[in-house]
Amino acid sequence: MIPKRKLRNILQIREIPLLIFVLILSAFFAFTIEGFMTLKNFEVISRQITTVGIVSIGMTLVLVTGGIDLSVGAMLSFAINIGGLLIIRGIPIYAAYPFILLLGAILGAINGLLIVWVKVPAIIVTLGTMNIFRGAIMVITKGKYITSIPQSYSWIGTGYTPFILFVVLLICFEFALRKMQFGRNIIAIGSNEQSAIYSGVPVNKFKVIVYILSGTLSALAGIIFIGRSGFIQPQAGIGYEMSSIAAVVIGGTSIYGGSGTVIGTFLGSLLMGLILAGITMLAVNAYWQGVINGLLIILAISFDTIRQMRRR
Amino acid sequence: MASKPMFNIKRKVPVSLLGLILFNVVLFVGLSFLSPTFLTIRNIQSLMLRMSELSMLTLAQTLVMIGGGMDLTVGSVMALSGAIAGMLFRAGFNPATVLVCALLGGALVGFLNSFLVVHLKIQSFIATVATNTIIRSVVYLLLKGRVLSAFPKSYVSLGSSYVLGFPILFLAVIAIAVALHLLLRRTALGRSIYAAGANEQCAHISGIHVNYVKYFIFTMSGILSAIGGIMYTMRIGAIIPDAGLNSPLEVVTAVLIGGASVRGGKGSVLGSLLGILAMYVLLNGFSLLGLSSFWEVIMLGVVLIAIVGQGNKKQIVKMSRFSRRKAL
Repeated sequence: MIPKRKLRNILQIREIPLLIFVLILSAFFAFTIEGFMTLKNFEVISRQITTVGIVSIGMTLVLVTGGIDLSVGAMLSFAINIGGLLIIRGIPIYAAYPFILLLGAILGAINGLLIVWVKVPAIIVTLGTMNIFRGAIMVITKGKYITSIPQSYSWIGTGYTPFILFVVLLICFEFALRKMQFGRNIIAIGSNEQSAIYSGVPVNKFKVIVYILSGTLSALAGIIFIGRSGFIQPQAGIGYEMSSIAAVVIGGTSIYGGSGTVIGTFLGSLLMGLILAGITMLAVNAYWQGVINGLLIILAISFDTIRQMRRR
Repeated sequence: MASKPMFNIKRKVPVSLLGLILFNVVLFVGLSFLSPTFLTIRNIQSLMLRMSELSMLTLAQTLVMIGGGMDLTVGSVMALSGAIAGMLFRAGFNPATVLVCALLGGALVGFLNSFLVVHLKIQSFIATVATNTIIRSVVYLLLKGRVLSAFPKSYVSLGSSYVLGFPILFLAVIAIAVALHLLLRRTALGRSIYAAGANEQCAHISGIHVNYVKYFIFTMSGILSAIGGIMYTMRIGAIIPDAGLNSPLEVVTAVLIGGASVRGGKGSVLGSLLGILAMYVLLNGFSLLGLSSFWEVIMLGVVLIAIVGQGNKKQIVKMSRFSRRKAL
């Protein structure tokens, strides 16, 4: 028997109720939908959640510092569209991947530096750069799809490869956030920037790093996107900013900064992926998904608010 | 603010309303030289007409941002009220009922937003991100993802009728803008919106019902956006499920260009309208000159960061001066 107090402590961990909810939902779908609990379906769901999931890891870090990054979808699209132009000109795959990642890092650095130097709120900077990146993509590609991607690029988007990559990244960033100085610093920045400055945290440096990571992870999600779909469209990644914010917030990361876990974000994206799969397989009108996602965000945040009020 | 701002150029001329007016004038003069079709009555009339519904959304956003919030549902509320109007017209209701129901729909969404912000204490940006996804899905469900064009002829003809050469919709926008301006500048409620936006704690201590103010601005924002939706259906004669999909961001940009701050307490009706005017004239000019409209999107982003960045730097300079004086 687990003592009652210990049980209460376990329930205090933010991820546990979410995990229980995910399990109940999967059980519900397993009973109501035939063929839900198959390996094939699991593979499909795992692939679906990976792209937004990897973007959400970067978004978690940004939200932990108290910022926000609305340009993730635009960075993803920019990196793979410009990379795609080189791919169809025949650059080798081992050069294309680093190039795409580097592009993402540069775009992220632009965000970070603008936020740190020009001192514009992150919402405004990334709203602006989102427009700039999206506009630049359309001007450069003239709105054309890039279709003739070589077969060699598809390995990263098939089977369990994207999911394994996702899990590895999850473990790395969870470790970095909990156990490394990097994590302590960004949590310090998010909970109180002034006191972080006074205690000698290089605030500006870490803020820029976080946005660079967000850009790089978005570009990585873009690489998986190329592997999965086999073509590149200028509209790639539209709406990713909202889905990733939703996944992160459902996962218990505070929008005010200073707290959050990558594991929570994983559970958040898993929950959204499960609901999408369930809706599709139950043949419910797909438009309900927006209603459910919106309600989930509101529920998750009010859950946190109520918990915080009770603690005081 | 321990780190020094990187650019230390002192700008003497602030981008104020005067600058914005000047910018618009330069744009008008420049475009009428560059394109022969720009300064024709036809083009100006169509510009006014096309601006009308987005101007309503801009007014809604202005109100919310002065009060220190942000409302990202303006675009989906526009689509929602258009969808409600279309469905009720198809069901054969009389115009008065239809209009009241469309406005009520908007008011209800605004009320829901203010409930989330006031009682569940969710940051308005995130709360409206959530309600925006919900409302947009509801619009898709109502319209079943299709375009609805069941609007009576007399209703649609209002959208293309003119008084003294001005489109009726444009005149309506001006009338509502004047009313809103008077509300903000001449009434106690208007003052308390500015006060609540500038410093919520302070406003609360000075005896302002900050929660009532929030209820008012969000509900009013819903109603104004719903009027925008009605104007949209009058102008186009149909409602598209994707109507106003990008407008929240466009509108926030216009309001910020017009002198508002993301921290609240600042902004004006005139400034916001000049902001949206500048954006539309730019867009119109780009298409007349045969440039890709995507350049307009890029410029929007640059202008947004530049203007807000400049305003912020001024604030930082002011703050550091103040703190120095306090230290002495």
